[in-house]
Amino acid sequence: MVATKNKSLQQFDTDDPDRIQDLGWTFKEVWRRTRGLVVTTLNLITFFILWEVFTIYGDINPLFLPKASDMFAELWVGLTTRAPEGAVFSGSILDHFLHSFNNLMFGLAIACLIGIPGGLLMGGNKYIEAILSPYVWALASLPRIALVPLFILFLGFTTTMQVTIIVISAVFPIMINAWAGVKTTEKSLLAAARVFGANRRQLYVKVVLPYTLPFIISGIQQGIGRGLIGVVIAELFGGSNGLGFLIQRSADTFNTAMTFAVLLLLIVMSLSLINFTRWLEAYVAPWRNVNHL
Amino acid sequence: MNNKNPIIVANDLTIAYELHRERKKLVALQDISLEVAPGEFVVLVGPSGCGKTSFINAISGLVPKASGSVTVRGQEVTGPGPDRAMVFQDYALLPWRTVESNVRMPFEFQDLGISDDEKARRVKECLSLVDLTGFEKSFPYELSGGMKQRVGIARALITHPDILLADEPFAAIDAMTREAMQAEMERIVMETGQTCVFITHSIDEAILLGDRVVVISYRPGKVKEIVNVNFPRPRMSNSEVKTSKEYAQLRDHIWNLVKDEASQTNRGE
Ligand SMILES: Nc1ncnc2c1ncn2[C@@H]1O[C@H](COP(=O)(O)OP(=O)(O)OP(=O)(O)O)[C@@H](O)[C@H]1O
Ligand SMILES: [Mg+2]
Repeated sequence: MVATKNKSLQQFDTDDPDRIQDLGWTFKEVWRRTRGLVVTTLNLITFFILWEVFTIYGDINPLFLPKASDMFAELWVGLTTRAPEGAVFSGSILDHFLHSFNNLMFGLAIACLIGIPGGLLMGGNKYIEAILSPYVWALASLPRIALVPLFILFLGFTTTMQVTIIVISAVFPIMINAWAGVKTTEKSLLAAARVFGANRRQLYVKVVLPYTLPFIISGIQQGIGRGLIGVVIAELFGGSNGLGFLIQRSADTFNTAMTFAVLLLLIVMSLSLINFTRWLEAYVAPWRNVNHL
Repeated sequence: MNNKNPIIVANDLTIAYELHRERKKLVALQDISLEVAPGEFVVLVGPSGCGKTSFINAISGLVPKASGSVTVRGQEVTGPGPDRAMVFQDYALLPWRTVESNVRMPFEFQDLGISDDEKARRVKECLSLVDLTGFEKSFPYELSGGMKQRVGIARALITHPDILLADEPFAAIDAMTREAMQAEMERIVMETGQTCVFITHSIDEAILLGDRVVVISYRPGKVKEIVNVNFPRPRMSNSEVKTSKEYAQLRDHIWNLVKDEASQTNRGE
């Protein structure tokens, strides 16, 4: 110990053995990192097995609760077949999934294109903020579902209407988060950049933007949740396409296995997207929560 | 160097902060007048909250003045400038940048007409000066408090600024490293003729480094006394300085001045 202390101002070698140690991979460490996944998988398998047993021996009307195996079969068939050319309605889950997913992505992209610059501008310029903020808060606090009949009136039962509802649903969390990010940029970081010569543009590009980036990502994460609600609502209300429509139609035709299959797909889609943004947030801003990585 | 013309002049400088909730103003510093000669090492001491940080923020141009003036080379300070670098009390490192990239930051914002090779050389030099060689690629959140502080010091030294404003730069550093860094600081100032305004809570550090020690009073902050320190340099390597009778007397004197003020902070208002 004393010997290391005496090094004080001398240089350490970059490959000084004291500094960084190679820990290697032990079985225990691999287990520590994967046990969450393993436990969840076992948990889910047990859940679906219990479901199956319950529906077989429980004398349950399959109209209310289909067998888990029927649901998975419906999901598999639905995802591996497409509607034949010229069909009026598609019974293929894949077709509807692609429709909804594309709409969601398209709507989220537009929401980002509006929300990110909008939020940054509101955070950066107090006049724009003063003028826009009442409208942003008004629209953000309005339950978006209330606007659906209006959009159907304006745009009819079209894909444009569906995308518009997704945009309206997703844009505000993104905008408000970006805005908050700019507003809460740490004063001391701005002060340091200014002392070392940053001009206004550099302050925004080199300090405010990187600081705001994780805020924007968590805005997008919230936007995905809201956008998904928008997708389903828009399709439930009107249209002949998408997972929302399929839920409605399969329920109307007493195909409960299909309904459950679509619900399961929605859950998987939503969780995948949200976990992806979580990972992204931890990746671009590891200083905010080191435990994530 | 012209020692007759002071490089930094504060004239009846007052700094006040608005307290939004109460619609009141808090006078942090009142009528501070101080002249700093080129190459001089001025140390500010005083109880916590007396306005030391506010004072060097006014010199760096980060804090607006309520009245009075601060000039650097005769020019009124209206904002930061490349002639003044600063070590921040709270480090203020950009968390998304590596150590190396943080230290390099001033080069991105200031065009000093330095070649890329020279920039790389200086980054290396400054990092080794603060004993952080090998941590170039680390992020601030992976460093200890003292290491972050040393990154802040390296960043401030990289441009070879004329004026160094250092806000408790060694506060979080262990005693051994601190002593070594004090010696480096003294060497740099002696070699480059850099002007330094330095804040510390350590009276020993103040006497060892300072040409003058300015004791600031508590609320409102005023210059209570300016103590001249006349030991020959280098002092850090000279063991006689610390054991001399004058040193002990100076230490006692400054200690008593600060103690009077510090006890005021506990008196309640
Ligand atoms: N941004 C601010 N807004 C309001 N009041 C402030 C602000 N910054 C500082 N103050 C007040 O000004 C006074 C002086 O603060 P300053 O940071 O200059 O003290 P200091 O001498 O550096 O203290 P320390 O030794 O603890 O760093 C304090 O009483 C503080 O409450
Ligand atoms: Mg301070």
